[in-house]
Amino acid sequence: MDAIIRSRAAYVCRSCTRSLQRQSRRSYSSAPAQPDIYDVVCVGGGPAGLSLLTALRANPVTSHLRMALVEAQDLAKIRSWKLPPDRFSNRCSSLTPSSALFLDQIGAWSHLERDRVQAYQEMQVWDGVTGARIEFDWTPGSAPAAGTTIAYMNENLNLTSGLLSRLGELGGVSMFDNAKVERISHGEETEEMDLREWPVVHLSGGKQLSARLLVGADGANSPVRSFAGIEARGWDYNRHGVVATVELEGEGWGGDHAKIAYQRFLPTGPVAMLPLPGNYSTLVWSTTPSNASLLKSLSPKDFIAMVNAAFRLGPTDLEYMHTQGSGQAEEYSWRLEHTPFDYRAVPQTVMGVQEGTVASFPLKLRHADTYIAERVALIGDAAHTIHPLAGQGLNQGQGDVQSLAKTIEYAVSHGQDIGVTMSLEPYVSERYAANHLLLGVCDKLHKLYSVGSGPLVPLRSMGLSAVNALGPLKTFFMNQAAGNGTKVF
Amino acid sequence: MQPSLRHLPRALRTARQGPRAAAAAAQASLRQQPAPSRKLSTTSPAASSSVNETEISHFSALASSWWDPHGPSRPLHLMNPLRHDFIQSCLSSPPPSPSTTTTTTTTNPRYLDVGCGGGIFAESAARLATTHSVTAIDPSATILSVARAHARRDPSLTKNKLVYLNETIESLPLPLPDQDEQPGGFDIVSLFEVLEHVDYPSAFLERVGQFVRPGGWLVLSTIARTWTSWVTTNVVAEDILGVVPPGTHDWYKYINAGELREWFERKNDGGGGREGGRVWGVPRVMGVVFVPGLGWKEVRGSEKVGNYFLGVQRVA
Ligand SMILES: Cc1cc2nc3c(=O)[nH]c(=O)nc-3n(C[C@H](O)[C@H](O)[C@H](O)COP(=O)(O)OP(=O)(O)OC[C@H]3O[C@@H](n4cnc5c(N)ncnc54)[C@H](O)[C@@H]3O)c2cc1C
Ligand SMILES: C[S@@+](CC[C@H](N)C(=O)[O-])C[C@H]1O[C@@H](n2cnc3c(N)ncnc32)[C@H](O)[C@@H]1O
Repeated sequence: MDAIIRSRAAYVCRSCTRSLQRQSRRSYSSAPAQPDIYDVVCVGGGPAGLSLLTALRANPVTSHLRMALVEAQDLAKIRSWKLPPDRFSNRCSSLTPSSALFLDQIGAWSHLERDRVQAYQEMQVWDGVTGARIEFDWTPGSAPAAGTTIAYMNENLNLTSGLLSRLGELGGVSMFDNAKVERISHGEETEEMDLREWPVVHLSGGKQLSARLLVGADGANSPVRSFAGIEARGWDYNRHGVVATVELEGEGWGGDHAKIAYQRFLPTGPVAMLPLPGNYSTLVWSTTPSNASLLKSLSPKDFIAMVNAAFRLGPTDLEYMHTQGSGQAEEYSWRLEHTPFDYRAVPQTVMGVQEGTVASFPLKLRHADTYIAERVALIGDAAHTIHPLAGQGLNQGQGDVQSLAKTIEYAVSHGQDIGVTMSLEPYVSERYAANHLLLGVCDKLHKLYSVGSGPLVPLRSMGLSAVNALGPLKTFFMNQAAGNGTKVF
Repeated sequence: MQPSLRHLPRALRTARQGPRAAAAAAQASLRQQPAPSRKLSTTSPAASSSVNETEISHFSALASSWWDPHGPSRPLHLMNPLRHDFIQSCLSSPPPSPSTTTTTTTTNPRYLDVGCGGGIFAESAARLATTHSVTAIDPSATILSVARAHARRDPSLTKNKLVYLNETIESLPLPLPDQDEQPGGFDIVSLFEVLEHVDYPSAFLERVGQFVRPGGWLVLSTIARTWTSWVTTNVVAEDILGVVPPGTHDWYKYINAGELREWFERKNDGGGGREGGRVWGVPRVMGVVFVPGLGWKEVRGSEKVGNYFLGVQRVA
């Protein structure tokens, strides 16, 4: 209706337009404004929300749906995001081959800056207390050709900016950015229609959007989830994830074509070094909040020493170094001389840290009781937040998107109302158990390795518990690589 | 599996066709074999109506819960997508003979949904982008008011896409030829889960068929009359699982796929068609099974056992 009046206004004099508007207002005097009706309103333009809209627009069955995106941040900044080739953002995620394949299917993968994406083919994971290695290799007989990609390391901004570029190419989505959701209410009943079950999203600035299906892609503190009255249960780990972009002495022990991801389980939490292009790597170090704030306060020289120590020294050495306000660099070189280790079994030495990239995020586990309510669906971190030790958070979101897009496609092609729980049920049944399993595995891994002593530790060195706990995770990783191990570029 | 005698008193209670049918059931159960064949009686009372008042009041009582996804109509909701798949498989099936000229299917079909209930199928058909329009009829005014109220919840279901009429197939005026003297009628006439609830099914089907334009399709779903269906619908679905309320099904009204095939074939005898040829093509049948927790699944050959779809093209 809005659009009709506006398009007429182009041909009609101002005063006539005013009377036209007055007329239309009079006929809906009960409602403050004629509802602006969308089939899909997605709150949150992070990796999950942008992927969903792209998937729906890229599919001819769903492309005619009227869609809107609401995002608090300035999307123009993300769209025009650009860094020189030797600088990397500190928020990186590993994309599994199946996530990459999905992004390729919806036409987004080619919009990523590909020379900023780094594939890796090997994982080295070990117990920081006992030194026992957890082998992520193939069961004999099923070994695929060497060089199979396990995952791709990628900056989150490279992904979101690529998705925005693809969405721009597809067009047709109303973008409301720099717009916070102020409140979500329900629609009204008028003479012609009954929208009392339709969510209405009120934006800062007064705009109102009525949604046949409201998608919560609005992250861990999802306002959409609160609106739907869906409880998210879980706990805080009392750990922070310290991230940083670091420069190593070389491009890795395997060279450019056999990149390795490293993760060492320390009693305070796992520390991971994940390869980026060239000599660069991204660090994810889960540790106590006080250790995290110490790490953030250190000079680059001392920070680098701590990172190198984290992969080489014993837990007691590390514990001591965390009590020092400064001087870790000297402490490290002294202690390193007295610590025997196989230098080729750990990441190459860190030489530098990029300015302004050391940051930390609180870690928690949350799982929503369900992902759907009448005219509401949750995806990504709005539905679940996972410990980052397996690098699965964003990938779970991609799995959600793929499943929800498929569910919506099925509903549209069968004439179902895409907003009702009846249509959305397949999405929950496909994703809930799978996500729950992964949340549980990562949680148990965290707990199993969070102890420095006690009955679990000797078991760990025997590799027994490790193998058992890792069973589903190993299978998961290996299946990801095996099933969809095709290189996307 | 045969119903144990323990269930018989219940059968007697739910059987609304009087002692004759109940006695037949008892007899049949003793013989341990599928039920007697059902004659699709062509004789109907002069003031013809297919409507059985007991059936109508039964469904009217369910009206308020019709759209509750976890209510008694859940199996219908779950079955709905399959109906569209089945219709698609009918529309894309090869024409009966190359010379048939009337089989051109329109790209923007007009639907007539007979016994539409709360509108589960009618709404979904109207929402499809290709649909020209849907006319949906039901003898129960109570259910239709639920259907109309529900359609208002979706602004895309405008009045020119979806119309509900409180009519029986007998009271609905027959379609008139269009301007080019081509016979009128609907491209798709649907009859989902209705046949097992009507009196005089033969006269009813005869009338329903007249609303299908030559080249169009009559598509229906119903339940076969076998001991398995007796157990699954009357004992398992109504009593044990409670997925449908007791009294929904009167097993004696079930019609088997074979009986329907025969019925359509008989209509072709003696050339009921306009040029003395066939009226109906060869029916397509798909058996489906309700798996609790999973929904409806196509199972080959299961039309002999329980629920099935049947689609038949009107060739002339
Ligand atoms: C230290 C760390 C390391 C990680 N490493 C990995 C990894 O290696 N691999 C991996 O797969 N995952 C990883 N993750 C997880 C990953 O970052 C998240 O799972 C992912 O970003 C979630 O995407 P999302 O789109 O669901 O939510 P978000 O990225 O949180 O996006 C939510 C969006 O909603 C917007 N929003 C929120 N509220 C409102 C509102 N009221 N109005 C308007 N807009 C709003 C926000 O501005 C934001 O843009 C890591 C996480 C952490 C903390
Ligand atoms: C099981 S419901 C099926 C409703 C709908 N077709 C669906 O599948 O969603 C049966 C419907 O048939 C209607 N009905 C019963 N007898 C009828 C008759 N003789 N003619 C037309 N409809 C009838 C009832 O009112 C009821 O709405």
